Amino acid sequence: MVGNPADAEDLAQEAFLQLFRKIATFRGESAFSTWLHRMTVNVVLMRLRKKSLPTDSLEESLEPDSENSGPKRDVGAPDLRLSGAVDRVNLERSIEKLPPGYRTVFILHDVQGYEHNEIAEIMGCSVGNSKSQLHKARTRLRELLQEEIREQARQERHAAKTQTGPSD
Amino acid sequence: MQCKDFAAVLEQEGLDPLPLAARSHLAGCSACQNLFADFSVMVSSARKLPAEVDPPERLWVSLRAQMAAEGLIKPSAPAPAEEAAWWQGLSTLFRPRVLVSAGLGLALAVAAFLTIHKTSTYVASNSSAPQVGHVPPPAEPATTPPSAPTAVAPAPVPQVTAHVKSRSNPAAAPSRNFKPAPTADLYEGTPAGLQDPPNVVGTSVEAYASLRENLRVINEVIAECQKHLKKHPNDALAREYLASAYQQKAQLVAAILDSGRSEQ
Repeated sequence: MVGNPADAEDLAQEAFLQLFRKIATFRGESAFSTWLHRMTVNVVLMRLRKKSLPTDSLEESLEPDSENSGPKRDVGAPDLRLSGAVDRVNLERSIEKLPPGYRTVFILHDVQGYEHNEIAEIMGCSVGNSKSQLHKARTRLRELLQEEIREQARQERHAAKTQTGPSD
Repeated sequence: MQCKDFAAVLEQEGLDPLPLAARSHLAGCSACQNLFADFSVMVSSARKLPAEVDPPERLWVSLRAQMAAEGLIKPSAPAPAEEAAWWQGLSTLFRPRVLVSAGLGLALAVAAFLTIHKTSTYVASNSSAPQVGHVPPPAEPATTPPSAPTAVAPAPVPQVTAHVKSRSNPAAAPSRNFKPAPTADLYEGTPAGLQDPPNVVGTSVEAYASLRENLRVINEVIAECQKHLKKHPNDALAREYLASAYQQKAQLVAAILDSGRSEQ
């Protein structure tokens, strides 16, 4: 969620400290793992807010439908399709570029396998909001991966030109 | 169904299973086909990412230190562990030997008493003149009270020593023989089941050597305890060990003195 192992270690430690400090407040209304997960997410989001990174509100309602809410297309750009399996490095790099709110929901659902009702409980939002955030996260992630592919293609073309060299 | 509707279905229903209407639209729309395919590839690749990553060991070390600093847990104290290790070693050395020494000392005290008593009755039955320092075979200790024993309690040390000196028999072997320590009035009766004097006397020599060895061990333990208490004068456990060691030493000394020889 934070994008680098060092921050992840710090926040993991902080999360466990919070756990020990607030263990007495656990009422058993949800699974302990859910409660711990929620505490951890809050610790992370608080750190990200302190860093003034843009965080998407998890409490916002669904955006009103627009006429052009179908798949977006860049005017003039080829419709890139992610062929085969996405490279793990590219995927992780793109996930890191996601806004924290999108990143959280995507990791919880598509990486860790939580259901929307569980995510809603962890994040303190509604199930509908969780689904909306996930769809937006996937859409944004697709765009980032396409940018990554375009950038790599550009670098490959540049490298090929450099190797051949200008003809005199 | 329009593309926006298809997107709404993906948002609400997920990728699988798609409703019939969405599948129908998908079959005829390349943009939605690309969208659906890309989403499927991303999700399948994301599921291969490690869901949980074990944190490095340093995290737990740091966490423990932080929790100890905040008073959430009691900090681990290395000094007691060191002392425990020291005491473990000492107790391992101490307990078996002390127990064995105590038991052996008690057994030897009984054996010495029986030997003295038997020897006194043996000598009294074979000779009218009081003999001191009776030495049956060479290099074997002898205990010869001057007359028939009438009491059970062993003689006090000073009396025993004086008695031995005044009745020393030049013919007796000087170094390893028991001197007659208790006086006759310290014994009574004839212990039942006595062995022949030579056998009993032979056992007493070995027993005495064992007593000396046990005393040496106890002295070492006492020295260790004293050394430790110099560094840690408030260590109650060390004091307890030292007191117990002194008690054991007292018992051993008593056993040795009862057999007619003093080490200190």
